Amino acid sequence: MNDIWINRLSEYLDGELDNEERAALEAHLATCGQCYATLGELSQVVTRAKALQNTEPATDLWPDIRARLMPARDTRIAPAPARSRRFAFTIPQLLAACLALVMLSGGVVWMALGGGARRAPFDNSANEPTPPPEFRTVSNERWKVQSDMAIADLQDALTLNEGKLDTATVRIVRQNLAVIDRAISQAQRALKRDPGNTYLNLHLANTMRQKIDLLRRANALAGES
Amino acid sequence: MLTTLATLVAVSLAFQSSEGQGQGQGRGQGVGDTTFAVQSGARLDVNNFGGEIVVHAWNQNNVRVRSSHSSRSRVDVSASGTTVLVRTEGRRGPPSIVDLDITVPAWMGMTLNGTYTDISVDGAGGSVTAESVQGDIEVTGGTGNISLKSVEGGVTLSKTKGRIDVNSVQGDITITDATGGGDITVESVDGDIVLMRIDAANVDVNTVDGDVTYEGTIKNGGSYRLATHDGDVTLVVPPAACLSGSVSTFDGDYDASFAVDTVRAGKHRFTLSVGRCSSPAKIEVETFDGDIQLRRPGEVELETPEHSEHNKWKNKNDHEEDNDFNFDFHFNYDGAKYAAYTSAAESAAKYARKYARIYSREWNLERRTRCDSC
Repeated sequence: MNDIWINRLSEYLDGELDNEERAALEAHLATCGQCYATLGELSQVVTRAKALQNTEPATDLWPDIRARLMPARDTRIAPAPARSRRFAFTIPQLLAACLALVMLSGGVVWMALGGGARRAPFDNSANEPTPPPEFRTVSNERWKVQSDMAIADLQDALTLNEGKLDTATVRIVRQNLAVIDRAISQAQRALKRDPGNTYLNLHLANTMRQKIDLLRRANALAGES
Repeated sequence: MLTTLATLVAVSLAFQSSEGQGQGQGRGQGVGDTTFAVQSGARLDVNNFGGEIVVHAWNQNNVRVRSSHSSRSRVDVSASGTTVLVRTEGRRGPPSIVDLDITVPAWMGMTLNGTYTDISVDGAGGSVTAESVQGDIEVTGGTGNISLKSVEGGVTLSKTKGRIDVNSVQGDITITDATGGGDITVESVDGDIVLMRIDAANVDVNTVDGDVTYEGTIKNGGSYRLATHDGDVTLVVPPAACLSGSVSTFDGDYDASFAVDTVRAGKHRFTLSVGRCSSPAKIEVETFDGDIQLRRPGEVELETPEHSEHNKWKNKNDHEEDNDFNFDFHFNYDGAKYAAYTSAAESAAKYARKYARIYSREWNLERRTRCDSC
């Protein structure tokens, strides 16, 4: 793992690297499958976080927070003025922030709707705020996984487990892995010709994520069999 | 709770005892048909190895479970809390084909799982989770969370008001009349994705090999991402929409049928904006190998492949019904025969396919067991 570049992927996504850094990172991306996968997942997190609505809390929480922060002082502190959301964090910060955003927005909506009082006792999925895919991804700490190693491990596991699946399912999985591999190969070839292409980098990252998802799903199916 | 549980235990016994007693069933066939009351908030949970799960809704607080299967299988109905569990089991080894036809209260949420199973839900008013390994999934209705997943099979969802998460590895995905405003996430590896008459603020559509079409609202502040590796992407933009974002195609053309402020942002990427507002919708449209089209409503002929074939046949018949009586009668007679033959042929192929898979699996299991004991 190259921690230097991994920790700067969010800046890359936000377009905050200077030209030299950006070129260096993109050159690194051309050789680092793990970075591609992380970039793809970060891209989804950022997209999702940007889509979250700003939700006002049901009550003004600031006085209570202020009292807890400075119990001995009577300094008036005004809440910071609202600023546009930015996402220039390190990966752990970004993921933690996303987690907090999801929990906060979901929790506020849940409280505003009186979900706790009205929720049908056995229909949890209908009323509880369901974490978006990125949240599930974060909770699984997939962003830590080196994609190349992960793919290799998952493929090894599938080779061992595919005997538990029927031949038709194995055929479908293999066919679709081949579809994804072809897409990855095409994207990689394109990147060799145009290594600085942001779209290609993100596209390759996203396609590798889909391969990991499919391998995981196939292994899960084998595990259930 | 105790009343429900006791009822379901009784139902389970009654249901099993009725197997093999249905009219019109050949020897070795089993049928079940039972109805029991459920309390508000109950949930349906079905697991069927192979065959069909068909769920209808009605305005009664009762659940009716009907089944058709061979004598080698059985259907158990039980309760866990206030969740109604329907399970298919083999009397010796894995179950074979079991067709389940279940009618539930319109408010009832459900979880439906199958392996070699087609799943169909009509008129659901609660949340729906459906997953099949090999089989199509077709859902009409649903609120809350709608999660539909198939490995090999198409997924069709319509007239829904929920938060939608649809995934198919190999198969087309069609979503129509999703009007609840919930987020929509759709992903496939090999299949076209069509979204029509959608009302949502956050849409994320992704396939590797297939076309993507989106027609619906584009809300201020919303986020719309449509992506494919190998296929065309068509985005229908309402006249009042206000949006900004980018389109990227590595090997293809970008074309809009109306005025779009476009700036080239790279060799294969354009940034664009339509309309002026303080909080435009963000769009990202991407294809590696395919064309991108931005169109106005009415400029694209939107139809789902499966439904269009069906409608074509139906419309043809409708047209013929306008002809004179004799011809019409003659045509309808042949049409009915043709339809019957077609239906039988399709059914035979379907069941042969499923039986083949199941028996192949059973045989492999048996062979493994024999080897283990050697």
